[in-house]
Amino acid sequence: MATFAEPMRPNIASADVQLPAVKDYEQVDREISATLKPTKGWGAALALSIAMFLMGAAAWTYQIYWGLGNAGYNPPVMWGVYIITFVFWVGIGHAGTLISAILFLFRAGFRTTIYRCAEAMTVFAVMTAGLFPIIHIGRPWKFFWLVPYPNWRLLWPNFKSPLVWDVFAISTYLTVSATFLYVGLIPDIAVLRDRETNPLRKRLLAVMSLGWRNSEPEWRHFTRMYLFLAAFSTPLVLSVHSVVSFDFAMALTPGWHATIFPPYFVAGAIFSGIGMVFTIIIPIRKFFRLEHYVTINHLDAAAKLCLFTSMVVGCAYLIEFWVAWYSGNMYEQDYFWNRVFGQWWWAAWIMLTCNMIFPLSLFSQKLRRNPTWLFILSIFINLGMWYERFVIIVPSLSHEFEPWQWSSYLPSWVDVSILVGSFGWFFMWFLLFIKQLPVVAIAEVKEIVAPKMKRAHGHGGHH
Amino acid sequence: MRQGLVAVFPQLDALCDAIEALKKAKYEQFTVYTPAPRHEIEHALKPPMSPVRRFTLIGGLLGVTFGYWIAVWTSEYWPLVVGGKAIASWIPYTIIGFEVMVLVGALSTVAAMFINSRIPKLTMTVGADPRFTHGDYGIFVLAAPERLKEAEAMLRHHGAVEVRGEQ
Repeated sequence: MATFAEPMRPNIASADVQLPAVKDYEQVDREISATLKPTKGWGAALALSIAMFLMGAAAWTYQIYWGLGNAGYNPPVMWGVYIITFVFWVGIGHAGTLISAILFLFRAGFRTTIYRCAEAMTVFAVMTAGLFPIIHIGRPWKFFWLVPYPNWRLLWPNFKSPLVWDVFAISTYLTVSATFLYVGLIPDIAVLRDRETNPLRKRLLAVMSLGWRNSEPEWRHFTRMYLFLAAFSTPLVLSVHSVVSFDFAMALTPGWHATIFPPYFVAGAIFSGIGMVFTIIIPIRKFFRLEHYVTINHLDAAAKLCLFTSMVVGCAYLIEFWVAWYSGNMYEQDYFWNRVFGQWWWAAWIMLTCNMIFPLSLFSQKLRRNPTWLFILSIFINLGMWYERFVIIVPSLSHEFEPWQWSSYLPSWVDVSILVGSFGWFFMWFLLFIKQLPVVAIAEVKEIVAPKMKRAHGHGGHH
Repeated sequence: MRQGLVAVFPQLDALCDAIEALKKAKYEQFTVYTPAPRHEIEHALKPPMSPVRRFTLIGGLLGVTFGYWIAVWTSEYWPLVVGGKAIASWIPYTIIGFEVMVLVGALSTVAAMFINSRIPKLTMTVGADPRFTHGDYGIFVLAAPERLKEAEAMLRHHGAVEVRGEQ
């Protein structure tokens, strides 16, 4: 494999992220479409994912047959692994739209080569998250009662309930994210269509590309559409996890009833999403030989964003403790003491170590530019962010106002299998995606590659 | 009866020169093809502003209206009476209004791109070439038959590596 010299460290806060080893449009088409060829390693990873998914599906079937009592619920802890994992996957789903929409509006150049991966991750993560409320309700065949549609039950959903807000927020987010992913893919599918030699695949790609021809009017409407979709998606990202946080903050339970929850959840979601982006993009750049597209500079810039969001999340953790102390409310104070030094100390310290302490290593430029460390750190972040949701949900429910109610919680094999199955489901879709459609945006990479010119200094002074 | 010419350009500045020459010579019907959107082409063409934004605005307004309406109307029609509480409360319904605004606004924006770009296209496009999704730029000019020779000479003069007739 060819090695490529890293460019001089650019100003990565601006759009000045160059791809010095990418010379022309032909190279972009050739190298990115080469990633679509299935390999043995990919097949093995897909088989493992499908096996994990089937394990989760079997556990869910068992639960549906024998009842929700097979999950580890222990009154009053009636929210457990399913709601924790729901919030975890919704959070993962946030980085995609953050990277594709917010960084697009900020003109952050390091977004270009990682956003497709992050967008696909978003769609599959929200698809995974959406399963968990359905699993959690125990009678999954009645989930559609949350959706307002004309019916003869003489009752509509209560629009004052955060659970109904969730339905609207998550379904809007899934629809808009999937649309954003698909429309961004249209020009790239057209590239694949015109390179394809297999007539059946060519036909399929022709349908999927909707007859896109790369004409100037198409691009003109496309770029405006992309801008407005990004402008819509940005507040949507912030709203969705705020709404998820309302599931907790609207209740009077100690540890939940806090106005800090919406920004705290949004920052946590973005942090966990960036963690998952690292978990995915670092192996992809290595195994797909895309190190000269997703350069060390891109990883360095994304690591800075990771560090920033980690510090926001850390700040939120500390403010929670301060508010509990300052409120003078004994239930809040007792709850927070129990969280860190009592019954749940081990979970809280996993959270604090993985989310606050380990990411401080990213102050070191050497570590920010070390993909191996970023990958290891990303695993800790995923673990820490799952435990963050555990720490929010379980200690609150197990330690409410009345001491006689205090309880504990241990997930059962059914919960754990469904949790593992959710990773299988997510990675199964992701692995199928990366061998069908380009994981790096061809058209957007072409925008930053210098076009061929007949004169040395461009056209008419326009740049 | 107009006839068409397809010109292929490997270089961006050659394409922009050809666009400016065509505009100067009063060729009004031509379509430019480019592998990626470039500001240089926009400066040469000076195209009108895309109307996509109007669809976005109208879609967003319709969405927010529908979101509030569905929540308020259904609350009034199937009331959940809780003592001392308003049956329809606009503050929590803002969440429904906002989410539906984003949903309808975003889908209208995409629909606007489809309508204005004339996609999905089910048939072959006259003047398009697979090279235009790859690495080359292109122009498809429609002109009266007596002006085709002049147009071809102009396109070749500015750097077209291939010019062929197509209709």
